[in-house]
Amino acid sequence: MSAKILQRLLVAVLVAVMLVWLIVPFAMAILWSMVDPSTAWTYPDLLPPKLSFERWWIMWQTTSLPTAILNSYSLAPIAALLTALLAAPTAFAFGRLDFPGKGLAQILILVPLVMPGFVVAIFFASILLQMGFFARYPAILFGHVILYLPYAVRILSVSFGQVRTDVVNAARDLGASPWQVFRVAYLPVLRPGIFAAFLVVFILSLEEFALAFVVGSPDFTTIPTILYSYLGYNFIRPNAAVVALILVVPNVLLMLGLERLLQSANPASVSGKG
Amino acid sequence: METKGTFVAYLAATDIGMRFDTFEALKGVSFTAERGEFITLLGPSGCGKTTLLNIVAGFLKPTRGALTLDGADLLPIPPERRDSAMCFQSYALFPHLSVRDNIAFGPRQKGLTATEVAKRVNDLLAQMALDAHAGKLPNALSGGQQQRVALARALAVGPGLVLFDEPLSNLDAKLRDQVRTEIRALQRRVGFTALYVTHDQAEALALSDRILLLNNGVIEQEGAPRDIYFKPRTRFVADFIGAANLHAGIAEAGALATPFGPLTGAGVATGAVTICWRPEMARLGPAGVNSLAGIVSSSAFQGAYTDVFVDAAGQTVRLQLPGAAHFAPGEALSFHVPPSAITTVADTAS
Repeated sequence: MSAKILQRLLVAVLVAVMLVWLIVPFAMAILWSMVDPSTAWTYPDLLPPKLSFERWWIMWQTTSLPTAILNSYSLAPIAALLTALLAAPTAFAFGRLDFPGKGLAQILILVPLVMPGFVVAIFFASILLQMGFFARYPAILFGHVILYLPYAVRILSVSFGQVRTDVVNAARDLGASPWQVFRVAYLPVLRPGIFAAFLVVFILSLEEFALAFVVGSPDFTTIPTILYSYLGYNFIRPNAAVVALILVVPNVLLMLGLERLLQSANPASVSGKG
Repeated sequence: METKGTFVAYLAATDIGMRFDTFEALKGVSFTAERGEFITLLGPSGCGKTTLLNIVAGFLKPTRGALTLDGADLLPIPPERRDSAMCFQSYALFPHLSVRDNIAFGPRQKGLTATEVAKRVNDLLAQMALDAHAGKLPNALSGGQQQRVALARALAVGPGLVLFDEPLSNLDAKLRDQVRTEIRALQRRVGFTALYVTHDQAEALALSDRILLLNNGVIEQEGAPRDIYFKPRTRFVADFIGAANLHAGIAEAGALATPFGPLTGAGVATGAVTICWRPEMARLGPAGVNSLAGIVSSSAFQGAYTDVFVDAAGQTVRLQLPGAAHFAPGEALSFHVPPSAITTVADTAS
């Protein structure tokens, strides 16, 4: 009996924490983005005195938000695609092959992840300039691909490791061409990993500020660089709320999609023993 | 196929050697298989039998030796173009494809038309009693059904040679006997050549035309099941196949000096030997020759026979006696072993 009560209590705590951590900031962002410019939302009002989409309209009209959205939402999928493709050979080697120094290589490839974004951005930008890489869009794209390769390699090597050698052998044994072997033995197991790597890089690229700021400033904008420009010196909370929502809502939807993808039972990686 | 003048076996392996870093898995193995023959590679785990099978399939390249199928050199040919198909221990079915698509996979790779593929698949589904499961995914099937799908998938490409890698090891005992009988019947009917790897001596004895008994990367003995069982050449063979009583003795002029006193055996060598006889060959009661006596140390009723361990002349002797008689520990027992049942074996393979 007491176990049941405990369980209910834990669920209640969990729901409360979720409310505080997720729903409250979200609701606040939505409320703040809808504060009408004519009347300020001040203490002791519990809700904004007047709600409107005026801020959204102003942001759209007067800032470079449309360009930033275009930049961010085109950079992210291209970066994700290139990263997944470039990560595949290394991931294959980590997941399927044995070679001397493999353990060390697997650690080394993750080292970039511990570097603070700004440290990488400042010096990566100088390398790009020295290489004569002046075009901002491709420079940021290149930077994002390099920055997020470790994530993609990590995710995809796990997927490659789940490919069953006996199934690969069975396909070859039955006369399959390399492409057919890939289709029947690799792809079904890799698919969730490919999606996961794509989505993770997509979201990271979308949210990346440091490199986009250092390389792109002052005139090349992405959604995060606009967002950060509303922090600090010319801080306007309602405007920041608008940009924040534009940034975060698609991400949350993608993240939920990713969760479903990773949770879904993958028949291809279940053993065939009965 | 016969090349002009000389006869070449369907499958011929000559002096196959395989080395993994410092471990020598195969130390020069040679054997042949005729068309339609059922050959079993039998041995304990680590003896090299699966390595040998993977070499024949093409998944491994041997470090030395030659391999021909139908007179043609197999080694340069990749697995996808060899006329062999494998039944994997894990079944290795494609988990996201239905039973029908699993079976159709091979024929489709060969570029058959859709109607030909469908016909072949339907035939196999009927033969294997899998009709009702054609649309299911492999995970929805029982182990025995998955095993049949794996076999059907291998046979669908119409291979001349079917390779079995311990196909029954994941099935329970009753099912194992049933599938074993099915495999043998199918092999007789379809006529393919079978190379069958197992560590289960009962399976090997029941299935094979010929057994190759491997130990430590060499063939320790090769022969028909009855020859291997009744005429083991070495101590290892006698011990691995069935149970055996093995005792040191000295052979001279057709007689054996043993710890039990003089015995008479069949085809006995001269000098220091190890004598060997099967527990089920012992008969209760004394006889003219080879009479022994001892004290029962333990006994276990096995249904078809009773396993009795007897202390005789300081040696432990194992008897398997039919019938319902009880043998209590401490009881005195006299028995005899017919001379034809006693052979001599070498201590090591040479």
